[in-house]
Amino acid sequence: MHKTIAFALVVLTGFSAGALAANQMIYQKGRVFSSESVSIKKGDALTFVNDDSIPHNLMSATKGSEFNLGSQAPGTSTDVTFKEAGDIQVICAIHPRMKMMVKVTD
Amino acid sequence: MPGLFPRRSNLFGTVVVAASLGAVGFASIGLGAVVVGETRRIDLGSKAAPGIDSIKTQYKRPATIPFPKENPYTPEKAALGKKLYFDTRLSVSMAQSCASCHSPGFGWGDGLAVGVGHGMAKLGRHSPTIVNAAWGAIFMWDGRLATLEEQALGPIEAAGEMNMPLDKLMGRLGSINEYKPLFAAAFPGEGMNARTLAKAIATYERTVVSERAPFDAWIEGNEKAISEEAKRGFAVFNGKAMCSACHEGWNFTNDGFQDIGLPSKDIGRGEFVPGVVKMQHAFKTPGLREIERRSPYMHDGSLDTLEAVVEHYDQGGVDRPSRSDLMKPLGLSAQEKADLVAFMKTLTSNLSPTAVPVLPR
Repeated sequence: MHKTIAFALVVLTGFSAGALAANQMIYQKGRVFSSESVSIKKGDALTFVNDDSIPHNLMSATKGSEFNLGSQAPGTSTDVTFKEAGDIQVICAIHPRMKMMVKVTD
Repeated sequence: MPGLFPRRSNLFGTVVVAASLGAVGFASIGLGAVVVGETRRIDLGSKAAPGIDSIKTQYKRPATIPFPKENPYTPEKAALGKKLYFDTRLSVSMAQSCASCHSPGFGWGDGLAVGVGHGMAKLGRHSPTIVNAAWGAIFMWDGRLATLEEQALGPIEAAGEMNMPLDKLMGRLGSINEYKPLFAAAFPGEGMNARTLAKAIATYERTVVSERAPFDAWIEGNEKAISEEAKRGFAVFNGKAMCSACHEGWNFTNDGFQDIGLPSKDIGRGEFVPGVVKMQHAFKTPGLREIERRSPYMHDGSLDTLEAVVEHYDQGGVDRPSRSDLMKPLGLSAQEKADLVAFMKTLTSNLSPTAVPVLPR
């Protein structure tokens, strides 16, 4: 029984790590995004990493794909999965120079 | 079909719980087409703080003024813009010009706690300086205007400020004969209209640049240009006090929005992004150039001196959900506070006099 649970945990952990590894990473350092524009497939996720020295607040007001990560502390990362195709602008609410485009394709 | 869909109250409860868990990093929340997953801690590694020489390179003055490709600089445009900037006929009362609230005599502000608009009525916020607006990323205290061209027209049209409808203004300017050839020279084939008016004023405003201050000479290698007290203040500014997190770069701003905990009911940027907690009571970070000429300070003009400003940051301001995560009691010593003030005073230049233009008749 215990072996079964342990096996299941290993499998699930593996899937989880695999899913994480597949994510494209977007970094926020020096008050800029590491990419101005990225393309991903519908259903895929981006991992937003705050590797800056100050908090950021990533969000999108693009209709139908709104999200808001709230205050994201330095040294944290958050996954965002996009389920609909389209061009989605992501900004930092705190720092107006930080803008990027996420192109979600079918 | 009972049981197929959750009852609304249950659904609401599920969303609240999921959101709460998501906020602390234990669950994913689905909000339609975008799913926000958990927030995890990551290892950024420990890096040594950059040395003072490395920090100083971040404050070097730029060599040229940036002009947008949609509105490139020409001397004719800037000269026309200057006349318009100082022309009181741009207000319905013919008593106010752009320079009334953004005067070279007060570091391109007005020296008042809050601006004075149409009919001498007090406005809600302090008149910001236009110094170094050419480098601005977004305009007005609450960032509601995207370009300096839009900003140029905003106060003219605003009922509480210059109260002048643009069609009426263009009619008035059109009746002043000497303006016609100036517009023709600045905008060949484009005519006199609100668009060219805005482009001219914005072009002139972009030429209003803070002049070399003692700080610039120090950055460029003259160790005697500022006092030892000011040098210590620069270290506190970039270190313990964390001022440079927002007041960064040569113009000492990243144009970001922060709630710095002033006890004001004005929600600032929150009016335009109501769903973002950190934008409630948030205002644009002002640059610090020519700061000694620009008192009183803050978006509401509530602090009279640089000493009071430093004291506010040292205390940390009103603790509320929207307050910037960077705001907290700093525990500065009296010496560190004095050093910070001494440093900020090195950002003020000996501004050259600005000649008021002869206006078209």
